[in-house]
Order: sequence, then C-alpha cells, then structure tokens
Amino acid sequence: MHRVTLLSLASLVVPVVLAAQQPTASHDSVRGAIRAVDTRARTLEVTTGVGLALRVVRLQVPAAVPITDQKGAQSAPINLAALKPGDVIRVSFGSRPTGFVAYAIERVGRMEAGVP
Amino acid sequence: MTRRWIALFAMCSAASCRRPPQPGDPLPGLSAVERAQFDSGRAIFDSTFTPPVGLGPLFNASGCGECHEDPVKGAGGDEVEHHAAVFHPERAGAMCDELADKGGPVFQDSVTPALHAALGIDREPRPPVATVVAERSTPDIFGFGLLDAVPDSVILSYADPNDTNHDGISGRPNRFFDGRLGRFGRKALVPTLREFNDGAFQAEIGITNPSVPVDGTVGGDSLPAGTDPAPDPEIGTRALVLTDAFVRLLAPPAPLKQSGEARHGRDVFSRVGCTGCHIPTLTTGNNPIPALRHKEVAAYTDLLLHDMGPELGAGDICFGLATPGEFRTEPLMGLRLVTHFMHNGRATTPEQAIEMHAGEGARARDLFASLPPADRAALVAFLKTL
Repeated sequence: MHRVTLLSLASLVVPVVLAAQQPTASHDSVRGAIRAVDTRARTLEVTTGVGLALRVVRLQVPAAVPITDQKGAQSAPINLAALKPGDVIRVSFGSRPTGFVAYAIERVGRMEAGVP
Repeated sequence: MTRRWIALFAMCSAASCRRPPQPGDPLPGLSAVERAQFDSGRAIFDSTFTPPVGLGPLFNASGCGECHEDPVKGAGGDEVEHHAAVFHPERAGAMCDELADKGGPVFQDSVTPALHAALGIDREPRPPVATVVAERSTPDIFGFGLLDAVPDSVILSYADPNDTNHDGISGRPNRFFDGRLGRFGRKALVPTLREFNDGAFQAEIGITNPSVPVDGTVGGDSLPAGTDPAPDPEIGTRALVLTDAFVRLLAPPAPLKQSGEARHGRDVFSRVGCTGCHIPTLTTGNNPIPALRHKEVAAYTDLLLHDMGPELGAGDICFGLATPGEFRTEPLMGLRLVTHFMHNGRATTPEQAIEMHAGEGARARDLFASLPPADRAALVAFLKTL
C-alpha cells in the first residue's frame, strides 16, 4: 500500500518536473538577435527559434514605440538607429493585416562570447 | 554452500553487482515512473511518421530512430544531412546569417510526394547566397541528459578566449540568439537538450509541436496549399515530454575494462594534450532528477568552441558566434561504437580523426604523430574503451 502511494505520488511529480524543463513559447513576445535594421522603413528582423528550427521575425516599428537599453537595473531610452545587428532584444508585438507590429523593444545585451 | 550463494545474491541485490549501463540502457537509479517514461519515450523515438500524421513536407528522416540507430536506438548512424549559412567576417557580433528566412540552417534532403507533386523538387533548394553547404553526420546522443545538467559556470570555467595561459588552446562559448550559453550541436549553439529535441522534430522530421507550432518554409516561401494535411501541432506536449525523457535519461555506455595498453594510452592521451579540450570529466549540478544530480560524467569535452583550422573551416558553416573553423569539442562517450568520426563523418578511424585536427588541435595532433608506434596504438586502444 505504501509502495502504491509512493508510485502514485511519483507519477504526479515526475511529469511536472520534466514538463518544467520545457521552453516557453509565446506568440506575442520574442527574445532574439537583431539580424537587420532598416531605420528608413522602420523595420527590424530578429532571429530566434527553438533548437535548430530557426525563424526570422519581421517587425514594423512605429515611431511611438518605446525602445530602451537595459544595463543592469538601469533602463535608458534609445532610438531605432541605436539598434545594431547582433544586439539581443526583447520585443512585445502584435499581429496586424500588414504584419507584426512592435509594441515595445528592450535591448538586453549583445551576441558576444564573453557576455553573461 | 547455500549460505554462501544467499550471501552473494544479497550483495548483488544491494547493487554491488549491478550491471554497468550498456549502449541504449537508461541511467542507473531511475524511479519506476522515470523508467516508464524512458520506455514510452523510446517507443516514440523509434516510431515512423508518415505524411497523414505530419511527416514533412520537408524532412531528413521519418523518425528519430531512422538515423540514431547503430547499434541501438540513441546511437549514431551513417546518414549525413546538410546545413547552409552565409559568413560575413567583417560584421562583428552579426557575422553569421543562418539563412533562417530562407529555410535554413537545416536544408532538408527529402520531400513528401505531395510537395514533390506541387513543386517538382526532391529536396529543399539551397539558396544561391549561401557561402557554404556543410555536411553533418549523425552523432550518438548517449549521456546528453548529463551534459544538459552541467551548470553553465562549469563550462565557462574552462573558457580561455584570449589564451591567457598560453597553452595554444582558447576555448570560447557559443551563445543562442537570446544570449544564453549554448552547448548542443556541433557548433554548441543550442542551450538545452529539450530545445534541441523539440526543434529536431520540426527541422528533421517536419513534425510541428507545441514548441515549434508552424512548419518551416521551402527556401523561404510558404508551403503550397494542401501539401501538409495534418493539423498543427502534429504531436502534443506529452509526446515531447516522453521523447525528451528517453533522450535525457539515456545513459552513457560504461567504458570497457581497460587493458594495460589502454591504461597507458589514457596517460598518453593526457600527455600529448588531448585533455586540453577533451576534458575527462564534468560534474553535473543540482537537478530535479536524482539520476542526473551531482554526477561525474566521463564526457571528454568542455562543450566549448575551438578553432580547428582553415581546412575544416573551409567546408563548414558559421553558426551564432561560431566561425566556420570553430567546432564544439565532441564528447567521446560511447566512442567505441562510432564508425564515422568528425562533424561530417569523413574520418572512418580514430587515427584519421586525430589527423584532421588542426588549429588549436595541431599541437596534440603533431605530438601524436611523433609518438612511437606503441604509444600511438595505446592511445587508440584507450579511445576504443570509451
């Protein structure tokens, strides 16, 4: 009886433990590396993905979209031209008939071997 | 006499006579539930997908076990697939275009009959802009759960990007596009085993899933209507969790008992400098699965990138921060079962693989070449015990 109880408990716990290792996927935010910036067209391309299943998210960036640079606990406003290929950003965005539109962009680092 | 047998049986029952893991076995010490998940995951790993249940329309294999199969499920195989990229060495921090907007970096070598009928292609077209199309062999995946459980801090402790100790070895980490430390894949791009597995369902088999809910493109173009009739996602979370459990809990095969020659070879392996990159043991950190928690792993890797010289680099891709000539130190767990060596499977013996080492591996390669024949044979004998 005791063994049955333990097994029952384990059957509840282990799937939770394994499931907790899942990567989270969201359709309205992405964290990835900037692939291209077009300041004139106000668009961004961000490389992201899961494992080797990579994708590029193309985003329109309206002029009113807040763009910030996060360094430690500090967050400072920057403009689109300050973003460069290789910057790691976090973007929240929504879907429109014309494509994805950014709501907010936060630069959190840069693709460099030495960064944490 | 009977008492002696009973005592021996009792000792064996206490695990002192436990059979060491054989190729394809689970890690020792799993709970009954973990073992059941391992077995269920192996069944999914070994299943064959067809177009009605989601295969393709672009794919490299119809199931995990089609490639990872020799001599057991989870081992390597002789299949070779193709990855492509564009290398821009002048663009610091963004030198690599993995062609993700054109179907890359994995360009599948097979298509379903429906896609062939729609487009008349037999494989995904490789973009003309690609600077190189590289070959990738099928590695074994033994012990990968243990590699996943090694803390980032352990891997980074071996990094020496500027070769400050002047040993000619300057391992550096790769990073995924969100900045996390990478460790899986021949270029150490992928941070976690779970992500590697989930992504492989889509990139290798064309199976959409909750982590990768949409199909890839055909060279950047959307799939023609009607070529992928199975509704997305084509497998659910349970299938992902169980497959991951199989891969995560797959044990590294226990090394063979070493002869005197092999023990000498282990010393030679260290003496010529192989252990500068092929770190003999890594230690896992805390982990929710006891069989993965605080374990020493005879991994023979540092999970870092190393420059392997212009010859290997000339035929390979960049990937994340990795230049074409940089490769992750290949783990040597289960090496005795491997029949095709290096990232592209071009070497058919350990000696050939050693000869292909250049760049940071050149010094060890040259020292190996200058050894007396008996020492070279001993080193190879050691490798064949792993």
